[in-house]
Amino acid sequence: MSAVLETRGLTKRFGDVTAVSELSFAVQEGTVTGFLGPNGAGKTTTMRMLLGLAEPTGGQALVFGRRYRELEQPARRVGAVLEASDLHPGRSGRDHLRVLAAAAGVGPARVDEVLRLVELGGVADRRAGGYSLGMRQRLSLATALLGDPELLVLDEPANGLDPEGVRWLRDFLRAFGAEGRTVLVSSHLLAEVAQTVDRVVIINHGRLVVQSPLSDLTARLAGTVRVDTTRPEVFERALRAAGVTGAERENGTVRVHGLTAERIGEIAFDAGVPVRQLTTESSSLEDVFLELTAGREA
Amino acid sequence: MRAQLRSELLKLRTTRTTLGLLLGAIAIVLLEVFGDVFSDNLQAISTEDKQRVVFGAGTLGALFAAYTGIILLTNEFRYGTIRPTLLFEPRRRIVIGAKLIAVALVGAAFGVVGVALSFAAGFAALDARGVDFVVSGGHLALAAGGTIAGCVLCAMFGLAIGALIRHQVGAIVFLAVWFFTFEQILFNDAPAVGRYLPGQATSALGGVTTPHLLSPTVGAVALVLWTLAFVALAMARTERGDIA
Repeated sequence: MSAVLETRGLTKRFGDVTAVSELSFAVQEGTVTGFLGPNGAGKTTTMRMLLGLAEPTGGQALVFGRRYRELEQPARRVGAVLEASDLHPGRSGRDHLRVLAAAAGVGPARVDEVLRLVELGGVADRRAGGYSLGMRQRLSLATALLGDPELLVLDEPANGLDPEGVRWLRDFLRAFGAEGRTVLVSSHLLAEVAQTVDRVVIINHGRLVVQSPLSDLTARLAGTVRVDTTRPEVFERALRAAGVTGAERENGTVRVHGLTAERIGEIAFDAGVPVRQLTTESSSLEDVFLELTAGREA
Repeated sequence: MRAQLRSELLKLRTTRTTLGLLLGAIAIVLLEVFGDVFSDNLQAISTEDKQRVVFGAGTLGALFAAYTGIILLTNEFRYGTIRPTLLFEPRRRIVIGAKLIAVALVGAAFGVVGVALSFAAGFAALDARGVDFVVSGGHLALAAGGTIAGCVLCAMFGLAIGALIRHQVGAIVFLAVWFFTFEQILFNDAPAVGRYLPGQATSALGGVTTPHLLSPTVGAVALVLWTLAFVALAMARTERGDIA
């Protein structure tokens, strides 16, 4: 697999503010990658640099190994959406697509095709100014699909969508990825993309926090067990004696990471520590995400 | 470039703005012709100078051609369509170049309509008042060519203003203040300088013989230079910098 999208030491400063700092990551061909981080983390700025809309202050942003501006007929290789509201309200949805199709040298048949694909055929001749947010999101996705690209770059495409719209988008991206094509989709909510992506790139304050398969992330913080006891100090000593380092205490509760509940019960029993309650915490992906991004804020 | 030009022409055709501006141009040309012919006495409208003003009224359409240029460019920033536009054609010079050609074609259309209207309405109105035509055929041909050229150049000049200012209302107000206030003041108070400004140069292209106005040829050169200078600045501004 080769890198379809890549940043190398990418940096962007606006005056004194550093929006993106020494960011390096790669998106491999045929993957659906979630580009995650809290609002203001630098996701949109990074995407703008990848797509040639903003100049990096330092480092490189490459698409198919080149700067976006150097790509021949980029719309036929990359479909991108940064803002769903990027349309003239007085132009019909169909004309919006025709205008861009003309620039890409794409025929009218493809316009009809993408309209059907995003299920906007029935309203295509209405002025786009009257479209709901969900319809605008679909129309913007249709523009990205005009050139039948092998890579989709979408910035927060689920923003403002109702649950039905979110499901439609998820199904669409899954189907797109299943064809072996590549997707980079940003979100500030991990849960929003967790069912769609197979890899994640998480950034915060413009810096890389982690890039890994989603499964690694899921495994990373799974298996936290909360132990309520009247003798937390003794239990902590027993854990240390057993070689357990991943434990922290909050009053009468000790949270132990990386051990099964059975093993923890045995340690407590051997140490004679009375256990009032022993609970396996199933960390949600959102917890993982928050923990990872919060860790970098300190 | 061809694909982008097709796209830009389609942009102009798929909103009502271009038609609205054309109707505005038609209205102002007719107003000028009928105002000139019916508000003055017979002696005044029998002079060649006055009749040249009547047959040069088509140059007023140049203002609307300039607004077409401004709007084609600033709409991109107003509605954020600059992002998809540059995603589909990231070579910004090609985008600006295609827009320049597109508005030049629209400017030519405005010029043709302006000439046709000013001539048709001018002849009809003068005839209705029973006045002899004293303007030569050669002058009319020059006025026609000058009007069309003026509309083409003003459309490109407007596009360049739009690229430099980007904010639609700001660019529209800027052009209005420039043409109707700044130029008028300078032309009245210092005509030796003011006559070289783009609005006055456009009037000269229409073959009007207002005192101090440049000859059509010098007016054409002045307007070409203004347009080239602003297009160069617009290219430089667009080539660099981030798109929000």
